[in-house]
Amino acid sequence: MLNIVVMIKQVPDSSEVEIDPVKMTLNRTKARNVVNAADLNALEYALRIKDKVGANITVISMGPPMADAAIIECMARGADRGILITDRAFAGADTYPTGLTLAATIAKLGNVDIVFGGDETTDSSTGHVGPGVAEFLGIDQITYAKEVDYEDGYVIATRDLEDGDEIVKVHTPVLVTVLLNSNVPRHQSLRKKIDAIRKGVESWGINELGLKPEWVGLRGSPTIVRSMKAIKEPEHLHKTITLDKIDEVVADLVSKNIIKVGGK
Amino acid sequence: MVGLINAIPVANKDEYKNVGVYIEHRGDDIKRSSIEMIGIGKQLARKINEKLICVVIGDKVDGIAKEVGEYGCDIVLAAESPDLAEYRTMPYAQIIGDYIAEYKPNIFLLAATRNGRDLASRIAVKERTGITADCTVLDVDENRTLLANRPTYGESTLAEILCRNHRPQMATARPGTFTPAEKEKDHKYEIVKKKVNVDKSLLGKQILKFIPKKATDLTAAKIVVAGGLGLGGPDGFKLLQELADLIGGAVGSSRPPVDLGWITRDHQVGQTGQAVRPDLYVAVGISGKPQHIAGMKFSKVIVSINKDPNAEINKISDYIITEDYRKAVPALIDAIKNFGKQKVAEAQKA
Ligand SMILES: Cc1cc2nc3c(=O)[nH]c(=O)nc-3n(C[C@H](O)[C@H](O)[C@H](O)COP(=O)(O)OP(=O)(O)OC[C@H]3O[C@@H](n4cnc5c(N)ncnc54)[C@H](O)[C@@H]3O)c2cc1C
Ligand SMILES: Cc1cc2nc3c(=O)[nH]c(=O)nc-3n(C[C@H](O)[C@H](O)[C@H](O)COP(=O)(O)OP(=O)(O)OC[C@H]3O[C@@H](n4cnc5c(N)ncnc54)[C@H](O)[C@@H]3O)c2cc1C
Repeated sequence: MLNIVVMIKQVPDSSEVEIDPVKMTLNRTKARNVVNAADLNALEYALRIKDKVGANITVISMGPPMADAAIIECMARGADRGILITDRAFAGADTYPTGLTLAATIAKLGNVDIVFGGDETTDSSTGHVGPGVAEFLGIDQITYAKEVDYEDGYVIATRDLEDGDEIVKVHTPVLVTVLLNSNVPRHQSLRKKIDAIRKGVESWGINELGLKPEWVGLRGSPTIVRSMKAIKEPEHLHKTITLDKIDEVVADLVSKNIIKVGGK
Repeated sequence: MVGLINAIPVANKDEYKNVGVYIEHRGDDIKRSSIEMIGIGKQLARKINEKLICVVIGDKVDGIAKEVGEYGCDIVLAAESPDLAEYRTMPYAQIIGDYIAEYKPNIFLLAATRNGRDLASRIAVKERTGITADCTVLDVDENRTLLANRPTYGESTLAEILCRNHRPQMATARPGTFTPAEKEKDHKYEIVKKKVNVDKSLLGKQILKFIPKKATDLTAAKIVVAGGLGLGGPDGFKLLQELADLIGGAVGSSRPPVDLGWITRDHQVGQTGQAVRPDLYVAVGISGKPQHIAGMKFSKVIVSINKDPNAEINKISDYIITEDYRKAVPALIDAIKNFGKQKVAEAQKA
């Protein structure tokens, strides 16, 4: 049977996240937490493959203890196993140690055929974690997939690019990042939810993964956020113009060099 | 493959010099976003008296390599193989990794396109260094530290991110943000070409098909004339196209006209469409809901044409025309034509 891992991240729901001005980190305590939306699309493709050929789906997430709720939600949608990768040492990770920690988890699980993730998160939206994990594992990748199928050892997927759709076929093992809104995730089932709560979420820390504390979290991060500042939005004139004065708009725009008319 | 290993600070940062840029192309056409990267890469390199080094990968890349040089790149690294005709993550990442090991750039930039991001963090991990995503402001200080700034939290905040001790300092940059490089007459450049033998193990990905789509790249437009549900039907967009053609603009849309099939999705501006920052944004029959504003609030000048004097878009507009667009847009078109005619007449007199 296929072994599939789905990487999910718990993110604050509202855009009303607060930033800790001293530590320059997100204050997550205020907003309601949800599974990152694209990760549910990734899970849905994993479940479709399970429906088609049978698979064991393990959901993994690196995050604080409360992120187990996100994993339970995925199990209630049909994932078989949930692992929370949690340890104080993992806190404050940039994409490098995040990828390393997730890859170490996948390596420990062993024999994984397909790794799924979202194309990016709604909170820091780098989109860099998936390809990073693939590089740590030394496997090929398919990013920005909007259709995903599995057949005889191959993943066939459509990548959504700016200038066209690219249809690719890659033998497993492969990592796939799934485009937000590319499918409609199935609902949670109450039965499965009860089962998930009974089964529980496993918790792995740094010792289980065999990583060194200075390799992960903030200490293992090559980048640092030096400062955060509010972005100033452009100021606007708020001039009300009646139709008989519309020439004035044109004259203004021409004098500001914003539109060019005549003389051509 | 790097293995399960940590990022590693470099012992001697002075060994790392120059600014590297990855050039993305489809066939013989350099992506506009990569010409923007040459623009910003050149600016950073010249500020600290270093060289701009660009990497071009493909089957036959002589033409592109030459063009990159003309844009002001100092050293063009060109890797050729029939196996590299199409972009594939594994061989491309390998080749760029090899170039980085050989040339040791202090900074390495890619456009944050989908294939750019596909490649970028893979290279960062390979090189055991850090990378900042989707930057809109890039600068370099006197210590040759890259100051990489990226918008976060719904575009409300600009985070400045540094990579102090690891090299190269990597970043991807948002398409449509930086000014594209212009060709420089008489610029001296060197092309270093190599034929590569691609390891077959890196060619596992089969590209079955590429279906090009006609995509309107609104992010490159200096002027966007956008219509909303207030247009009342697809014909409204014909009028907007006429206005756009007159002033060299592109046509945009809010989401409802797209959902209704009045115009294709590649014209949509907003949270789930494109984010634009043109010099002029003309919003016609658009109410200004937050999801729309998210994609156009950094427009320099905004003109709102809306029947409703209290439309939310008016709060961020410079010129507010409270009228039925069927009257206002033709009036604006006439005014522009007349203004043009007057100009020509004045010029003839003088
Ligand atoms: C304001 C701000 C800006 C930042 N900018 C950068 C930056 O430019 N460079 C940088 O290196 N770091 C940056 N970070 C740190 C970054 O947020 C963390 O590394 C984070 O752990 C992962 O990044 P992401 O949310 O962007 O993931 P993405 O790469 O956008 O996530 C893609 C997919 O990877 C999977 N995934 C991501 N995180 C997890 C997880 N914890 N558990 C399981 N699966 C996961 C999910 O499937 C997800 O859909 C920034 C943080 C903040 C607060
Ligand atoms: C998750 C999510 C994502 C979304 N993403 C986007 C997005 O990316 N982009 C986007 O645009 N929307 C998006 N939306 C939809 C958004 O919430 C609004 O519904 C949409 O922007 C409204 O479009 P509108 O202004 O064209 O229509 P309306 O709000 O209906 O406004 C029509 C305007 O036209 C004016 N009008 C009517 N007749 C005339 C006339 N004859 N002459 C002049 N003016 C006239 C009216 O006064 C009104 O102000 C999203 C919504 C959700 C929930």
